Amino acid sequence: MLENYGNSQNSQNPCQLKAMTSVNIRALLLFSAIFRVILILYGEWQDSHMEVRYTDVDYLVFSDAASLMASGDSPYKRTTYRYSPLLAFLLIPNAIIHRSWGKFLFSASDLLVGFFIRSILKLRRVPENLCTYSVMIWLLNPFTFTIGTRGNCEPIVCAVILWIIICLMNGNVLQAAFWYGLVVHFRIYPIIYALPIILILDSNFFHSGQKPFLSYWTAGHGKTTQSSTDATYHYNMQNVLTKIFTRQRVMFGLVSAIVFFSFTGLFFYLYGWAFLHEALLYHLTRTDPRHNFSVYFYHIYLHYEKEISVLEKFISFLPQFMVQLVLISCFAQDFPICFFVQTVAFVAFNKVITAQYFVWFFCLLPLILPWSSMKLKWEGICCFSVWMGAQIHWLMWGYMLEFKGKNVFLQLWMASLVFLAANTLVLIMIIRHHRYSPVFRHLELKSSKNSVKLE
Amino acid sequence: MPSSSSLCRAAAARHCCFMETWCRVQLCIYLFAGISLMLFLCTGSCVHSSSLSSEAQSCNQDFSSNNSTTSSFCSCKRFIMESYHGEYGSLLDSDFQDFIARGLPSGLCGMLPDDLPRLSVLQQNLIGEGSHRLLSSSIRLNIEPKSLTKLPTHSCEVILIERLPIGVFADPFELQHLLQRGVFNNIAVFGDTNLELPSFLSNHSVVEVHMDVGPNLLISHKNGPYINIALPLHARYPPLDASGYSRVKFGAPDVFMCCSIEGNSPNQSCLFSPTGDGAELGSGEIVWRIPAGRKTHAEVVSIVTFISAIVSTLFIVLASIFYSKAIPYKTLKQS
Repeated sequence: MLENYGNSQNSQNPCQLKAMTSVNIRALLLFSAIFRVILILYGEWQDSHMEVRYTDVDYLVFSDAASLMASGDSPYKRTTYRYSPLLAFLLIPNAIIHRSWGKFLFSASDLLVGFFIRSILKLRRVPENLCTYSVMIWLLNPFTFTIGTRGNCEPIVCAVILWIIICLMNGNVLQAAFWYGLVVHFRIYPIIYALPIILILDSNFFHSGQKPFLSYWTAGHGKTTQSSTDATYHYNMQNVLTKIFTRQRVMFGLVSAIVFFSFTGLFFYLYGWAFLHEALLYHLTRTDPRHNFSVYFYHIYLHYEKEISVLEKFISFLPQFMVQLVLISCFAQDFPICFFVQTVAFVAFNKVITAQYFVWFFCLLPLILPWSSMKLKWEGICCFSVWMGAQIHWLMWGYMLEFKGKNVFLQLWMASLVFLAANTLVLIMIIRHHRYSPVFRHLELKSSKNSVKLE
Repeated sequence: MPSSSSLCRAAAARHCCFMETWCRVQLCIYLFAGISLMLFLCTGSCVHSSSLSSEAQSCNQDFSSNNSTTSSFCSCKRFIMESYHGEYGSLLDSDFQDFIARGLPSGLCGMLPDDLPRLSVLQQNLIGEGSHRLLSSSIRLNIEPKSLTKLPTHSCEVILIERLPIGVFADPFELQHLLQRGVFNNIAVFGDTNLELPSFLSNHSVVEVHMDVGPNLLISHKNGPYINIALPLHARYPPLDASGYSRVKFGAPDVFMCCSIEGNSPNQSCLFSPTGDGAELGSGEIVWRIPAGRKTHAEVVSIVTFISAIVSTLFIVLASIFYSKAIPYKTLKQS
C-alpha cells in the first residue's frame, strides 16, 4: 500500500520534496510532544476532580515503590509491584519533584520510539514520505499516546528494543548486547528475540572493524532480490550448521548474559528473595484466573483448585514453542518482520493477555509497513476491523461479567477464542503480504549488488 | 532534471545532518545512564530519611473491665482492631464477641450510661451491580434531650467495624484515596488484603471506619444525627458453583462511638457501644450474588481450548512455510 505512494512521489522535484517532508517530520514530532503534554495535564485534572481516574493503577504502584526506595526501603514492600527496581529508581523524582515526572519520562520515550523508527527506516533508505507515514502510525496511534500519558512503562522497553535494532544495523554488537541484557532484566519477554539475533550475527555480515552492509528498500517486486535471497539463505543455513560459534555470537551471548546476571545479582543482594519472586518468578509462573483476553483464562479458573500436571503445562507450552520456532526459522534474516510476528504470536498464545502487551508489537509495525504489499482498501481496513472488532466483542462480554454481574463466563471464553482466531488471521495476512528482504547483505557480494542497484 | 552529482551531495548532506542529530541523541542517552547509575549507588548507601509512618501512640492498651476507671483509650485516632489484632491472631466472630464483651472504657465520658446517645436505626444496603459495589450503612443516633446540655464539650465520632465475609474484599489503596479526599475521618483494613487471590485461598478481612459526628450535629438534628457511610467493596473470584452464582452473606456490623472531651488533656476519651433496646437493626440479610464458574464446563473448555490453540498453531506454521520466500520449496516451484 505504501509502495504506490513512494512511486508517484519520485517523479516530483526531489529537493522540494525533501524540504517539505523534513519539515513535516519535525512538525509531527513537535505536535505529538505538545499533544502528550496536554494529555498529561488533562490527566492530572481528571484525577483530582473526577471519581474515575485517568492515571493507570500501575502508575500509582510505581510511584509508591519509588517513594519507598527514596526513603531507603525496598520497593517490594509495596504489594503488586512486580518490576525491576530500576523502574522505581527512574521514578524517584516522582517523590522529589512532581508526581507526573514518570508520565513525562514515558511520553518522552514514546517520542524517542518515533525518532528511532525514522532512523531505522532511513538506514535502509526508505523514501521520506513512507518514513513519515510509518512514524505517524506510531505517534498518532491513540493506543500509543494513552499508554504513555496514563503512566505505563512499556514505551521505555520499546525504545530500548528499537535502539538494539539500530545498534545491530550499525554493527555495534557490544552495545546491542549490553542493552539486550538490560531489557531482558527489565521485562522478560525480549528473550524471544535471542535466537533471531544470534542467527543474524553471521560472519558473512559482520566483520570486526567494518560496518555491515544493509539491503535497501526497493519499490515493487524485484526478481533479482528474490533469487539472491534464496542464495543467501542457503549459504546461511550451511553456516549455521558448520560455524555456530562465531566471534560476534559468542561476544553477544557473553556480554548480554553478564549484564543480565549482574543486574539480577545486584538487586538480589540489595532486596533479597522478594525481588526474585516478584520481579522474575511471578512472570514466569503467572496463572491469573481473572478474566483477560487469553483463551486459557477459563481453563485456569476451572482448574485453579487442582494442581496443574506436568503434562498439561507441556501441552499449553507446546503451541507457543512451535510457533516461535517456525517463525524464527522462516524469517530470521529479515529480523524486523521476525520480531513483529514473534511478538504477535507470543502475546496471542500467552496465558495472560492484557491490553498493554499490544504496545510490544505496535512499535515494530511501522518497521515492516514499507515492505508490505497490503493495500489500505480493503485488506488493511479488513485486518484492522477484524482485530478491533474481536477486541470490542470481548470487552462487551467482560463488561457484562464485571459490571453487570451476569454469569457470562462461557460467552466470554468464546469471545477470547474469536480473538485468538482474529490474531491468527491478521498474522497470516501480514505474512502473506510481506515482501521478504533480509536486512544484511554479504560483504563479498556487495560490489556486484551495487552495480545492479545503480541503474 | 537535477544532476546525479547534486543528488549525491544532497543525499550526503542529509545523511551528515542526520548522523549529527543521532550522535547527540546517543550522547544524551549515555549521560543520562551514567548520572542515573551514580545517583542509584548514592541512594543505596545514603542515610535513611524519615519514611511515611502513621501516628504511633504510646499509651496503655488495657481493656479489662475491672480497670475501666484507670485505663484510658488514648485517642479516637487509634483503631479498636489494632488492639484486637494484637491480642488475637484470627478474625473469627466468636473471638471478636469475647473481646467486646470484656468491656470498653466508657467511664471517662463523665456521663451516666443512660445519657449516652443510643442507636435508633441501623440499615445496610448493597448498592450497584457486578463485582464492584458500595456497602452503604445508615446510622441514626437518638439522644435524650436532657443530656444535650452535657454534650457540647464532646466531639464524637462513630466507629463502624465491618467484618467482611470470604469472597469480598476492600482495596486499601482505594480507601486511602477516599481518606485523602476527606470522605472519612479515618479508615483501615485488617486481615487478608491480597487483591488477586480467588476466595477459596483467602481469609477474612475487617474494615474499621471512623466517621466524624462533631459537636454541632449533636445539637442541630432534632432526632439525633444521621450518618451515612458508603464503603466500596470488590468481589473475588468465588469457588465453582453448579448454579453459576455464589452467594455471599454479610453479617451485621458493630457500631461504637468514641467521644473525646475538649478542654481536658487531649488524651482523654471514652468509647462505648450505643446499641439500644429499641433499635431497628438491619433491613434483612444482605446477600451478594457473584458469578462463578460451573464445574460441568471444565472438560469441554479444556478440550476446546487446546484444540483451538493447536489449530491456530497449524495455520500459522503452514502460512509461514508457504508464504515465506526463504524456503527452497518456493525456488523449486519457480525454476
